[in-house]
Order: sequence, then structure tokens, then C-alpha cells
Amino acid sequence: MRSRDGNCTLSCSFCTLILLSSLALNASEYLISYRSIVKDAILYNETLHISKAMQKCTGTPQTSLILPKQNSENIQKIIHNKMDNFITYIHKLGISVEHKEENINYQNSSTTILTMHTRCFKVDFNDNFARITALK
Amino acid sequence: MKYSLLLSALLSSAAFSATAQTAQIPPQTSTIQVVCPTGTCTTPPAVQKVQVINPVSVYTPKPKEDVLPIDSSLRIDVVGQGVAPMNTASPAQAYALAKRAATADAYRLIAEKVKGVRIEGDDLIKNMMVQRSTVRTTVRAMVRNANVVETTFKDGLCEVEMEIVLSHAAFAH
Repeated sequence: MRSRDGNCTLSCSFCTLILLSSLALNASEYLISYRSIVKDAILYNETLHISKAMQKCTGTPQTSLILPKQNSENIQKIIHNKMDNFITYIHKLGISVEHKEENINYQNSSTTILTMHTRCFKVDFNDNFARITALK
Repeated sequence: MKYSLLLSALLSSAAFSATAQTAQIPPQTSTIQVVCPTGTCTTPPAVQKVQVINPVSVYTPKPKEDVLPIDSSLRIDVVGQGVAPMNTASPAQAYALAKRAATADAYRLIAEKVKGVRIEGDDLIKNMMVQRSTVRTTVRAMVRNANVVETTFKDGLCEVEMEIVLSHAAFAH
């Protein structure tokens, strides 16, 4: 005869799996990439992609940036409120510069692309601040 | 008789002085030890006397010097310029956009100074006339730890002064 808790192992492993996956999804680690295009000394396009990391990042923490939380734990809102500070921080971490300039019949045109490739950031929320730390 | 004796004395003294002058310049000799390079020679290395007629200075390359000496740093300053677009909603937006463009220009200038520029040029000449003249320059670099020193915005032009400090330790990997 089958006992009442006969399927305990299966249910326990299922619960553990859900718990671990939820922990992994709730980890405050984000993947961020940045790219700005400047054409003829005018900003043409700027993109900042932020997404939650689906798996745990590896790497040692680098310098941190502290931004005010403003009663929100949405990292996109926090960053967009202090976009200038965050972009300066990203630039300091290291940015790839690609510049092309063309002079055809004495008419000049130039394109500069600044790129930060997708990078993992750890975010710790305090009472009033969010500490963003780059992982390398 | 007296004159002949005097003449002979003069001639002998002149001849003696001439021999003395030639004796002062000995033939330039130098010793070169010839060593068997492969070590298969049966005879022991002989010492030869070689007369150096016209010594020529042999080019010896200098040891490679570091561009940036150890325990020293190099500061590079640049001023990037950016312009606000025509269709901006407000002066603040114009300033923000111009500042981004100026920052990118400053990064480009740093990359040009530190890493260098690749330049390609093409001229198309037809019937002895230049049809098309093209100059392309490209820069690719990774810039880290550059600091914005000052930002100015005047008459739609934004200027960002940026500096980077290069140290020997940063490149001694």
C-alpha cells in the first residue's frame, strides 16, 4: 500500500528547483550595454540596454556608483533619473571608441561610435540608495 | 772641403730626422683571436695579426628604450567639441546632446593621440584631371579612466576638456 507522503522526494526536488530558480531570477545582477553614435559632431543615436541576469555572474567587483533610490527598486528608473552620472561611470569603466572620418572632394564627414559591450553589474539596494558595482 | 763636410752633415741630419718621423708612426696592428665557431677544428685557436687599414664603425642597434619610463606618468589633455541638433525641445536638451557629442569627440582625440590613426587615401585622375579625391581615417581603441576636467557651452557649441593619465604600470602586463 502506498503511503500518504510517498511522493515526497519528487515534490521536495520540485520545490527546491522552484526556489533556486526564483532566487536566481531575484538576484540583483543586471546585464547592461551602452552605445552612442555621433555623426558630424551631432549625437545621432544613444542606446542603453538593461536586463536582469538570468544566471549568476562571475567576476570580481570593480568600482561602485551610488545612486538615490527615490522609493523605487526599479533599476531602469533609478538609472534614467541619474543618466548623466551613470554614463560618466560607464565611460570611466572603459569604453570602446571607433571613429571613421571621410573626406571626399574636400567635404568632410565623420562618425564616432562609443560602445560598452554587455557587462554584468551587481545592484545592492539600501534604504535610500542603490549601489551599482561592475563585475569583471 | 769645409763646405762639403757641412753639406754632408746637413744631409745626414735631414735623413736621420726623416727616419725618426717614420719610426713615430708604427703600422696599426690589432690582434684578433680566431675561434672555431662549431668547435670541430682540430688545431687550437690561432692568434693572427691583422692590419687595420681603414677602420669602419659597425652599426650596433641601441637597446630598446621604453616610451614611458618606469615610475613615471604621462598626462594627455584634449578638448572635444560637439554641436546641439537644430530640432531640440529645450536648451537643456540641446546642452545634454551637445555634451554627449563633445564627450565622444574627446574620447576620439584621446584614442588618436594614444593609439594612432590609420589613414587611407585615393585619388582618381582622368584625362590629367583629378576626378575624385578621398581621404579616410579610422581610429579604434579602448579608453579607460579618462576624466572630464571642464565643460563649457556657448552659442550651441559644447566643449569638453578631458584628460587621461598614462602610467608605465598600466601597460606593463
